[in-house]
Amino acid sequence: MHELVEFAVEKALELGADYAEARFEEKNGTSLAMKNGSPEGLEVLADRGIGVRVLVGGGMGFASTNVLTKESVAEGVKRAVKLAKAASRVRNEPIRFSEENFHEVYYEVKMRKDFRDVSPEEKLELLRKIEEEVKATGVNVPMRYLSYSDQVWHKIIANSDGAFIESIIPRVSIMYNLVVFENSQMEQAPFVQRAFSGGLELIEKDEPWEWAVKDVQALKKLIYEGKKPPEGKVDLVISPEVAGIAVHESVGHPYEADRIFGREAAQAGESFVKPDMLGERIGSEVVTVIDDPTIPNSWGFYLYDDEGVKARPRYLIRDGIITEFLTNREYAYKLGQHSNAAARAINYNREPIVRMANTYLAPGDHSFEELIEDVKLGVYMVSFNEWNIDDRRYQQRYIGREAYLIENGEIKHPVRRPILEITTRALWSSVDAVGKEVAFYPGTCGKGEPGQGVPVWMGGAHARLRDIPLRRP
Amino acid sequence: MFELNEFILKKAKELGFGDVVILTYETNRRQVRFANNEITVAKHWHERKVELFVELEKRIAGTTITELSEENIERTLKMLLGNMKGMSPKEDYYGIAEGPFEYKDIPETFDKAIVELDEPNEYVERAINAALEQGAKRVAGVLYTDHDKVYLTTSNGIEAFDEGTGIEISVRAFIGDLESGHGTNSVRVLKKFDPESAGRKAGEIASLAKNPEQGPEGRFDVIFDPLAFANLLSYMSFMTSAYAAEAGFSPFVNKLGQKVANEIVTIKDVGNLPNGYGSRKFDDEGVPTRKTTIIENGTFKTFLLNTSLARKYKTETTANAGLIMPRAWNIVLEPGEYSREELFGEVKRGIYITNVWYTRFQNYVTGDFSTIPRDGIFLIEDGNLKPIRNIRVSDNLLGILSRIEAMGRESFHIHWWEVRTPVTTPYVLVKDVGITRATK
Repeated sequence: MHELVEFAVEKALELGADYAEARFEEKNGTSLAMKNGSPEGLEVLADRGIGVRVLVGGGMGFASTNVLTKESVAEGVKRAVKLAKAASRVRNEPIRFSEENFHEVYYEVKMRKDFRDVSPEEKLELLRKIEEEVKATGVNVPMRYLSYSDQVWHKIIANSDGAFIESIIPRVSIMYNLVVFENSQMEQAPFVQRAFSGGLELIEKDEPWEWAVKDVQALKKLIYEGKKPPEGKVDLVISPEVAGIAVHESVGHPYEADRIFGREAAQAGESFVKPDMLGERIGSEVVTVIDDPTIPNSWGFYLYDDEGVKARPRYLIRDGIITEFLTNREYAYKLGQHSNAAARAINYNREPIVRMANTYLAPGDHSFEELIEDVKLGVYMVSFNEWNIDDRRYQQRYIGREAYLIENGEIKHPVRRPILEITTRALWSSVDAVGKEVAFYPGTCGKGEPGQGVPVWMGGAHARLRDIPLRRP
Repeated sequence: MFELNEFILKKAKELGFGDVVILTYETNRRQVRFANNEITVAKHWHERKVELFVELEKRIAGTTITELSEENIERTLKMLLGNMKGMSPKEDYYGIAEGPFEYKDIPETFDKAIVELDEPNEYVERAINAALEQGAKRVAGVLYTDHDKVYLTTSNGIEAFDEGTGIEISVRAFIGDLESGHGTNSVRVLKKFDPESAGRKAGEIASLAKNPEQGPEGRFDVIFDPLAFANLLSYMSFMTSAYAAEAGFSPFVNKLGQKVANEIVTIKDVGNLPNGYGSRKFDDEGVPTRKTTIIENGTFKTFLLNTSLARKYKTETTANAGLIMPRAWNIVLEPGEYSREELFGEVKRGIYITNVWYTRFQNYVTGDFSTIPRDGIFLIEDGNLKPIRNIRVSDNLLGILSRIEAMGRESFHIHWWEVRTPVTTPYVLVKDVGITRATK
């Protein structure tokens, strides 16, 4: 396959491309589902193909094929060059890429327990274990949807600036949707996922059945003991899971340089952040937000991005100040910077665009007890269901699934659906203390057209927000 | 391609598989993306793939084959067999449709002119210019052309072929950061393509939306633009799949035969809709697609089904396979009797929402959700439109359907990034819609 990738780059240059990049991707894996105790069948993934991206006269063209012959790839290259040329005529200014140091690299994430050696029935046992453990709680859970998925991603990326990166990254995940029905009330833990880059040992160690048990027990308790959340301004302690979605939505996304410059305007939208806001305060001094693709075994893991640039941690907010945007080569050039390797494509048939990887609220110096102990009246939001944010990433909302009242420094009874509906600046300015321990939660980040759902981790430490007018349902 | 299908079927039967479904696709798709009045990237996709579904004594498996050599096909089938032998059966599997069937051409789903179209950038420029003429400063969007062929062969004697084309554009126009509008146009034949209409609508709304003020909260009568209501109906379409209901993702659970909407509401899935972006002659097991009434005069009539799920619930398939998960083709909300002006005339004080995104559910079974208006949002006061911003629709899906008060008489076919299942809908007036905003 190496030859075909190199052939594509050379062919594009020969046809007049100023820049060419070819990416072979192969994905192999299995997925299984179980609905209300019944196995739903096996899905075997075997997908591969080549995508070619070129710049010609400042226009960008992309073509892909899954017919892996020289003829078909050459046809794709020809199309990409033709499309780029035509596109260059409808440009106000040519697209340029930042200068980068490129490498020839091979890297691989090793599996201790290789899921390719495990039978589908054994994988199904993981889902059965969730079924059994949930049943053993005695909680009535009439609707249960569980799924397992594993994939090995093999990529070969070459470009005309000298990058040649080959990688093998296995990914494994479990997802559940559990609907609890007790006391004539329905509560739900939907799309809860546990996910890693690596082997099956990571799922086994993580014990997703323990998460499921905790969820259904918390929902039952909420149904029987849940009360309205307090009214008026209160303090709010958010868990790593809630901090994770908040940094993802209101820090990661608005700092994506392609959004800032309007490239995603018709889809995911633009950003309240402008280029001249670098160096501006957006949160309190205890707020530092990092996006780091290089965290071992993380769901958003990679060491080189899909433009071949070496990855590193990106400090989006440091001590409350906007310090860095997420960039690819096109927007790094516009900013007069080097790319910080945020270009990701979900498959061979997608263009690399600016994405997050593993975004988190960096730890502070408070223990969990210290965060809680001087809260007179507040809410501890452990998990959330409904969430959304406007397309400039300024007005967001998170509704608690599992949440508790905090009274005089103690965690009390569950509260029903506390709603945090707040602007981005108010959210991060309200944080007065951050916990010491960091935890991560997986998700699929949506962006791009056609859609590119990429694996990401979101998380961080606990955070305490002061004087928050919580909304009741 | 049928030769390939027959080869796969023959080999699968030799290996002892029971039900076998082979769907072979050949697709050519083009995209032109634009932003800031210029093309950001142009793309072409060429794909050939076989989607294979096999059953072995109630054990089921699916895969996609893209390397179509005889060796790889045989290797894939043997791999599936090896994996399935030790697996537990799907106890509620009840088979695939018995053929053969007769298929009718669906009007306006194929146009050679789209296949032969060399250069679609002219349409992009026309859409951009139409928006700029309305006062827009920055225009972004996407144009697609599609050409698909699908060949279906099943072990129950079905052989079916369909070929379709499409061209569509989605345009968002901006004046400032907070002033924008959106328009779309999705058609299957070139002569019906009207990119200017999308650009014009986007530009018009952006121009009307100048200098928006913070919107109010509370309960308001809301007029949803077709673009906005299509988003809600597209989410709803997933929830009408029997699979989604069993998996705990539907508020229609236990609602068969019950009132779920105001009696003026009739919602259908139409698989054979002329000029419908989701239309196809047959479903994934070869049943000819048709019109299925999901909600009739406010009463929930049926979930969307494939043959296996239909047999499980002792009824007939609705021709919506998905062999695992039934899915909608084109959702159609039957129009009402109001002109656009009459509909706006019904609202003394209310809100006009031109577009929404990021629809998310707190609870899929109860239907509690919120969604965020984007682009022009307007307070309607005594016939005047006053631009507002930064509000959220916080309500319940069945509640919204129950409070539909009136509908326009003209329908619009909507399909874009935020409306994945195509939806045909008029303007819709809903009473007492929950509106919230940030508290800090």
